Amino acid sequence: MKWLRSREAALAVLLILLMVTANALEPKFVTMRAQGLLATHLWELAIVAVPMLLIIIAGGIDLSVGAMVALAAVTLGLLFERGTPATVAALVAIAVAGAAGFANGWFVAKLKVHPLIVTLATMAVFRGLAEGLSLARPISGYPASFLAISQNNVPGYLFAGFAPVTGFVLARTKFGRGVVAIGMEETAARFSGIPVARIKLVLYALSGLACGLAGVILVARNNTAKADLGVGLELEAITAVILGGARIEGGRGKVLGLVLGLLLIHETREFVSWHWKQNELNMIVIGSLLIVTVLLERLLAARRRG
Amino acid sequence: MKIQLSLLSLAALAALFSAGCSGSETKSEADPKVATTGGPSTGKKITVCLLPKKKGVPYFTSCSEGAEEAAKELGNVELIYDGPTSGDAADAVKLIDQWTAQGVDVIAVSPNDPAVLGPAMKRARDAGIKVITWDADSAVDTREFLVNQATAEEIGNSLVDSMAKDLGGDKAAGDVAIVTATLTAANQNEWIKYIKARLPKYPGLHLVATKPSNEDQKLAFSVTQDLTKAYPNLKGVFAISSVAFPGAAEAIKQGGMTGKVFVTGLSTPNDMRNYVNEGVVKSVILWNTKDLGYLTVYAARAAADGVLKADGTLKAGRLGEKKVVGDNVMLGGTITFTKDNIAQYNF
Repeated sequence: MKWLRSREAALAVLLILLMVTANALEPKFVTMRAQGLLATHLWELAIVAVPMLLIIIAGGIDLSVGAMVALAAVTLGLLFERGTPATVAALVAIAVAGAAGFANGWFVAKLKVHPLIVTLATMAVFRGLAEGLSLARPISGYPASFLAISQNNVPGYLFAGFAPVTGFVLARTKFGRGVVAIGMEETAARFSGIPVARIKLVLYALSGLACGLAGVILVARNNTAKADLGVGLELEAITAVILGGARIEGGRGKVLGLVLGLLLIHETREFVSWHWKQNELNMIVIGSLLIVTVLLERLLAARRRG
Repeated sequence: MKIQLSLLSLAALAALFSAGCSGSETKSEADPKVATTGGPSTGKKITVCLLPKKKGVPYFTSCSEGAEEAAKELGNVELIYDGPTSGDAADAVKLIDQWTAQGVDVIAVSPNDPAVLGPAMKRARDAGIKVITWDADSAVDTREFLVNQATAEEIGNSLVDSMAKDLGGDKAAGDVAIVTATLTAANQNEWIKYIKARLPKYPGLHLVATKPSNEDQKLAFSVTQDLTKAYPNLKGVFAISSVAFPGAAEAIKQGGMTGKVFVTGLSTPNDMRNYVNEGVVKSVILWNTKDLGYLTVYAARAAADGVLKADGTLKAGRLGEKKVVGDNVMLGGTITFTKDNIAQYNF
């Protein structure tokens, strides 16, 4: 019964309510076919949100995810344009993004600069690199075999693999428990012998790798590599993580919550766009969901104190 | 506790949804009255989705007004006008996917990036939806018909003829230059081809340069400045994109060359009105955007009914009969805006 008080339960209830309403208003929306088609829009965000969850649980933040996605995309495009086969270019792109994430991690973990400042700066640097290298030109024309990786929800299966593994790591491994400990009380964690710097480095590098993968998927889905891909992705990812129940100060968060939060964001956005047919409303949805989440948190905290 | 949470969230979401609800009243839908005579078909009600390159741009808004007019006239068309306010092609892809999932009847696209939109358009076609393009084209296998405002030849000729007129008629003499969008844009390159073909009609005019401005108004500004410095005998500039035109005009104005170097090109009357009134620009070329939207809806109806045929004709309401040249439904005809008539137009 205690589970019913959790964030996960609240999210599940909201999701069910949403789908029931959707079914009443737009029956075609809830069909497998429609959902399958619309799901293709979700995966880049989902893949990026998983490391973001870990980073936030550990008390950090990564604002540069959108920029790393763009950097990966541009790397892919430029290499492909110069004759590298698409798959090889994709692997290099992921590696480049991983290196970018590692750089973030280095500043945060070894040089001990506050992650907000580091990733704010790298957000600008990586995006600038992407724009400068590509001269803001789009690069299109990838082979069908490459484009196929974004079809039929292939990335969805990847995510369906990552998510439970991450949940397991978080809950059952030393690494995962270290992440939570760092978020709860970093000094105590360090004194307990937890390799704080190493864990942080790994987390930010993972974020980079995830962004690389997301960038590759985006390029395949849009058949174009552009420097303005992924703008606003950090806002969406952080919203999903917070909506899913993680606390921004760190120390708390669950993968299940994240998954439900992602689904809620995705379904709300798609439904609003489907039913009210006004693309402008999209931006309002994310912001509103974040506000609603904060209200929820306040209510929860008040109840716990009282 | 769970109830409190849920109630609060429900209330918030409900507030959001009802806010969106009142917004939807302003979106127009055709009255579901019985179809009147005069349309190409009196078939069942269909849903037509009109996708601009960028929602909110006056050019496209005026096209949508013409489209709404046509939908009302036909009576059996539900028109959805929606598109990305950012102009981002990826957002447009999401919209096309949604419409495909909803199973609409026709999707009419003005593609700002054919490579990005192509796969989504093909998916829609595979799902049995009719896809047509308007204003700008995409790959031939992604759409059945293009609703085309004017042929590249008409546009090229209008540009050269009005430049010659601005410079003194048949005896016009001097250097002219072209400021285009990107060097790879297919439509601009077609227009350049016809500009070059038309120029020999005015033997006094010499084309000295063709420079890109990459849809960047600031770049168009500096490119035009450079041109005036490099070619002292420069008398005219063709700014053949709606972004390059104001940029080039501003460069001429700020360089104090109003009246000495004339700019002509393609843009909306509203964007160019000040320059026309100040004499920097004598003529602005475009086409009737409302008619373009109007024709697109009639073409969509005909495509859905299966009566639109290549190399045939289309009965388009108050526009009469329009020729279909190959798979292009031709609106036909450019308009030239000058000091005399620019006040009448608002888009």
